[in-house]
Amino acid sequence: MWKYEKRLQYPINIKTKDLRLAKILVTQYGGSNGELAAAFRYLNQRYTMPDNRGKALLTDIGTEELAHVEMISTMIYQLIKDASLEEIKEAGLDSHYAEHGKALYPTDANGVPFTVMYFATTGDPKADLMEDMAAEQKARAVYENLIDLTNDPDVLGPLLWLRQREIVHFQRFKELYEMYKQEGL
Amino acid sequence: MNYDMFDEMNYFTNLNENNFQNNNNNMNISPTTLFNPYEGYVKGNLFKNLYETYKNFKPKGISITNERDEMLLNVNQLSFARHELNLLLDVYPNNTEALNLFNRYLEMEKTETKNYERRYGPLTITGEIDTNTPFAWENDKWPWEI
Repeated sequence: MWKYEKRLQYPINIKTKDLRLAKILVTQYGGSNGELAAAFRYLNQRYTMPDNRGKALLTDIGTEELAHVEMISTMIYQLIKDASLEEIKEAGLDSHYAEHGKALYPTDANGVPFTVMYFATTGDPKADLMEDMAAEQKARAVYENLIDLTNDPDVLGPLLWLRQREIVHFQRFKELYEMYKQEGL
Repeated sequence: MNYDMFDEMNYFTNLNENNFQNNNNNMNISPTTLFNPYEGYVKGNLFKNLYETYKNFKPKGISITNERDEMLLNVNQLSFARHELNLLLDVYPNNTEALNLFNRYLEMEKTETKNYERRYGPLTITGEIDTNTPFAWENDKWPWEI
């Protein structure tokens, strides 16, 4: 069961529209290393964790990733909402507009739609945790690529913040992985 | 908010020892201190030993333009600190220092949440909510709106 909190985990107030940025930022929503894939990868893997440490950690990080989906969605929404049709066409977002208007739709930066293939679950706790460690590293790398591609402080703030979350999550997964390895789980 | 009381405390000095005794696991984390909730929140990381910057980028800080921003920041930073300890405790459930700090931040978070909700409306559907119409839950702006 989940309960919604009517606040963002970290505040987002983007004052300047930027369609080019929205077009690439969407990968952290619907890309293979994005937040949606992370949330459901962890929430999907938790059922077959061998003990309560794994069940708790995957539940709690998976839940936090849902809050990150909301942050990324908010950023995309705010970057696009005031755009004119002319600007949408110039940015190459007319194909998006044709299908979805100004609504959000999870794809990667190349427009490839989200797929459950990104969940990557084996049922082997160590393999799954290793997958999660890699996922956090890849998401961190993508955040750094995105940070390189903007200089809007309203965007950089949340991106730098989200990047730190990947580092903390990686560490917790790694610690649990090492414990399971040590304990033969 | 004043977190001076936490600044000098090192909650992780005995982390290795405690976990060896209680969990019999081979955890290898170097002793460290935590950032206070505000500092940790601004950085997105409560753990000094885990914090690593990207290039020369610094955190952008939280802009406060009114009392509401300030009261929400109080909720956000305590919630964040509590959550960081939550994730740590998931992996190290017998760490007494972490649990004590978790409990302390949780109590502070509850107080700040009530303070905010009484003035600006509920943050959760079971929070402090006005019993009169119109339905307070849907009132006011939603989080993605500026």
